[in-house]
Amino acid sequence: MSHRRYMTTLKLDEAELRARRAFCELTEDDLQRLRGLRPLAEKHSAELVEAFYALLLSHEQTRKFFPDEATVRRVKRTQSEYFLGLFEGRCDLAYVEDRLRVGAVHERIGLSPKWYLAAYRKYLALLHSKLGSELAPADAAAAFQSLQKLVFFDVTIAIDTYIAANIETIQRHQTALRELSTPVIRVHDRVLLLPLVGAIDSLRAQQIMDAVLLRIVEEKARCIIVDIAGVPVVDTKVADSLVKTTASVRLLGAKTILTGISAQVARTIVQLGVDISTMHTCARLQDGIELALDLVGKTIVDKDRPRGAEGG
Amino acid sequence: MQGIIPILRMGDILLTTVHVELRDAVAEGFQADVLSTIERSHVSGLVIDISGLDMVDTYVARILAETGRMARLMGTETVLCGMRPEIAATLVRMGYLMEGVHAALDLDEGLELLRELRARP
Amino acid sequence: MRIATEDDVILVRRAVRALAEAHGFDVFASAALTTATSELTRNVWVHGGGGLAIIEELANGERSGVRVTFRDEGPGIADVARVMAGGYSTARSMGLGLSGSRRLVDEFDLKTVPGRGTTVEIVKWKAT
Repeated sequence: MSHRRYMTTLKLDEAELRARRAFCELTEDDLQRLRGLRPLAEKHSAELVEAFYALLLSHEQTRKFFPDEATVRRVKRTQSEYFLGLFEGRCDLAYVEDRLRVGAVHERIGLSPKWYLAAYRKYLALLHSKLGSELAPADAAAAFQSLQKLVFFDVTIAIDTYIAANIETIQRHQTALRELSTPVIRVHDRVLLLPLVGAIDSLRAQQIMDAVLLRIVEEKARCIIVDIAGVPVVDTKVADSLVKTTASVRLLGAKTILTGISAQVARTIVQLGVDISTMHTCARLQDGIELALDLVGKTIVDKDRPRGAEGG
Repeated sequence: MQGIIPILRMGDILLTTVHVELRDAVAEGFQADVLSTIERSHVSGLVIDISGLDMVDTYVARILAETGRMARLMGTETVLCGMRPEIAATLVRMGYLMEGVHAALDLDEGLELLRELRARP
Repeated sequence: MRIATEDDVILVRRAVRALAEAHGFDVFASAALTTATSELTRNVWVHGGGGLAIIEELANGERSGVRVTFRDEGPGIADVARVMAGGYSTARSMGLGLSGSRRLVDEFDLKTVPGRGTTVEIVKWKAT
């Protein structure tokens, strides 16, 4: 039911609906006029839908969406309903949801917005000629004006479905990125490693502290190595967040080792006056790992080379 | 309000578990209980298990930290264990770093830490 | 909700926590809001001579959140700047509670008139 979600994602509420109708200059009079044209619409709907699909099927880029007869029959039926929906005399949130549903279907099958939107022109052209031949000139002109307003309103909804789908994709990516941005790795019994890469803003800093604390509890870690070689800028805020993380890690009974400190970062930290006396620090990750293992009571030992012919 | 929070003695270590919703009188009574027990029992270590606390504000944090400092003055090392991660994060974010308090992940770690602390010269 | 006794402090805290959890706040956000609430409710009870806590749900199109307003008619705060600069771990109880709470929430508004009372409003939004 993605179209219902779209209503929320796009904030399509009563207020938004009123604003759009006002901007399209779509009034109750217009809607009533269109309702009055319903018998006319019903009489000609089959013919109009045929002509509409003649266009879609005659162009290579759009033909591929209608691979077989069964599909064509089905979409013509749906299109017919859509077409007659223009003459119901309503333009409320239920109508909007309906239009969103149609748009969502097109978005989902991969029909590019450029064809989808351009197809509305065909609608207007077909209706213009029909109205011209069936009604007196003044009535035809008024009817066409009303129709154009509602059709353009529909176009805004059509664009919205593509926008909403994109917004949702971006949100999914952001979530994935957040999860990737705090990859806490267990390198040994009760020793964790967090290689930080990329800029750290205050939101990310908060997420990092939360994720680290949860992992420490989960793994009963005694030590976490935080490598900042991949962090391009270490300013007061970043340094402060590292201090805070160390303090909170300590409250869970674990120690923090900061590694990957370049000369530039060392200079910045000292000049900023940040107190990192409570933190263990190392220049290289390797030193950090050795220190961490030492803190949990382990040592790295060189294997003895066996004597004799087993070289290599 | 003393006698609400039980204090157990295991060898020369005192063990106490703090439940949820520490009311002021209970907290202060707890502190008094701990100190008088230390005075009576000549213990060298105190473990306060706070795994049952789902919220620690500055008032509770202060009581705990003070208790630790007072115990140390009487020759008893204190370890706070079982702090929930969200509480650790909240205290630190408020600016309450609880320096001067030893901390451990859980009871086992707490007892181990006490052993280490007492082994130091 | 009325804040007159210690029980009230606990009730307000529980109510805020329940609402945060109902809104799907993660455990860290919930703890932050509940703790800030506890600090500010205590202030009303201990320093403000009792008062009110107003708990509201907020919905702002794309995000949802919780707002809690604390109101008392106590002595007010004479030197707000000094109290808010409470700083780390060594400040007096009210100062650290106030400045600490501000760091836990997304929006913080304090209005005080010495001799007339204090109103503190905090908002925490749910992370998207």
